[in-house]
Amino acid sequence: MCGLCGLIGEDGHWSDPLGNDLPRRRERLRRIAAINRVVAPFRLTISDVQGASYLLQGATGRQALATGLDELWQQAEALIARPLDPLDPRILDALEARP
Amino acid sequence: MSLPISVITGFLGSGKTTLLNRLLAGETLGDSALLINEFGDVGIDHLLVQEVAPGTVLLPGGCVCCTVNGDLRQALLDLYARRERGEVPAFKRVLLETTGLADPAPILATLLRDTQLRGRYHLGLLVTVVDAEQAELQQRLHPEWLGQVTAADRLLLSKADRVPEAVLNQVQEQLHALNPSASQALVQDITAGDALLLGEGLRGAHPEQEVAGWQLFSAVNASRHGNAKVCCLAFDQPLDWVAFGVWLSMLLRCHGERILRVKGLLDVIESPQPIVIHGVQHCLHAPVHLHAWPEGKRQSKLVFIVRDLDTTQLRRSFRAFLGDIGHAA
Repeated sequence: MCGLCGLIGEDGHWSDPLGNDLPRRRERLRRIAAINRVVAPFRLTISDVQGASYLLQGATGRQALATGLDELWQQAEALIARPLDPLDPRILDALEARP
Repeated sequence: MSLPISVITGFLGSGKTTLLNRLLAGETLGDSALLINEFGDVGIDHLLVQEVAPGTVLLPGGCVCCTVNGDLRQALLDLYARRERGEVPAFKRVLLETTGLADPAPILATLLRDTQLRGRYHLGLLVTVVDAEQAELQQRLHPEWLGQVTAADRLLLSKADRVPEAVLNQVQEQLHALNPSASQALVQDITAGDALLLGEGLRGAHPEQEVAGWQLFSAVNASRHGNAKVCCLAFDQPLDWVAFGVWLSMLLRCHGERILRVKGLLDVIESPQPIVIHGVQHCLHAPVHLHAWPEGKRQSKLVFIVRDLDTTQLRRSFRAFLGDIGHAA
């Protein structure tokens, strides 16, 4: 558990923060912000639930909960009913158009 | 205590058994456990063996030898439990021989993801035995061959004495082009207990040496062999680990079976030390911190070996996710 944030945390993933300098909640919010930039073209938003899960919300009001990054991608694909491909021109165009 | 598992793979008839027999001939495997498919595979019948449990025998040198019987996870857990109970000697490493048709990626996935195995074992080295005589034919006909060669940390060429030197050189060059970071040796030169096979690679005492051996900064670039392609990305500015994690985890999830191998030495904003990553298909190992930059060169490099993947789009995707952080070679 993180003493500063009181987070029990989720299963370890290779992409977890490298150091312990920053509070875990802040690192988690940075990750969520990065993911939101990627899924924005599909009108999907991700938010944190108690530092342990992710809440995914689609444009039509569909929702899903996910624990861990693997499940997050899986649920996101289920909500938008297509694979989330980082080589997809739709995602790349949106990211490249950002100032 | 977590024990290293070295995986010995290679296509059918490539000479894995010959290699194991050679290793078993010495005393140096006394602190190892050997997991094989069938006892008949390894010529241990002539040795005076002692059966300690069903499917598990103790060789005279002290090496524990047991059969996998189809379920690798259970075999590994049973073996660990027997070690804990003192039924078998306290071995320090496991050597696992795969079947000739095995793709190493699911084995790595089992080791990396299974919660029970994770604390007990970790992956040491992945050694692939390549038949020098049949290499060209096997590459053309069997997709498993490419998976085994690209996943390897060490490539051992067998039957080198049965091909002309020119052919051997050609096979060695081809293997180097397909997997530039794996060190190569001839099976005939391997002696029992060779450090080449018993090391732990990145998890060992000298990860810097292992990374230096990857030759990430050598001139092998964007080469193409059959449907496999090597793609190198190099950049000067430090990268954002969070954005990189999002990008690579998405990429491996979506295109894992097309990314045969990924290796990289990264300059990350969050860490003053270099970070090493490596993975096979969908599985990525936990990142390793190095103490210093090899050759004092502070530059990030990522090498992908891909099959049927558009590398132009891969580069574009990297830039879009991580921003323009210097040149992408």
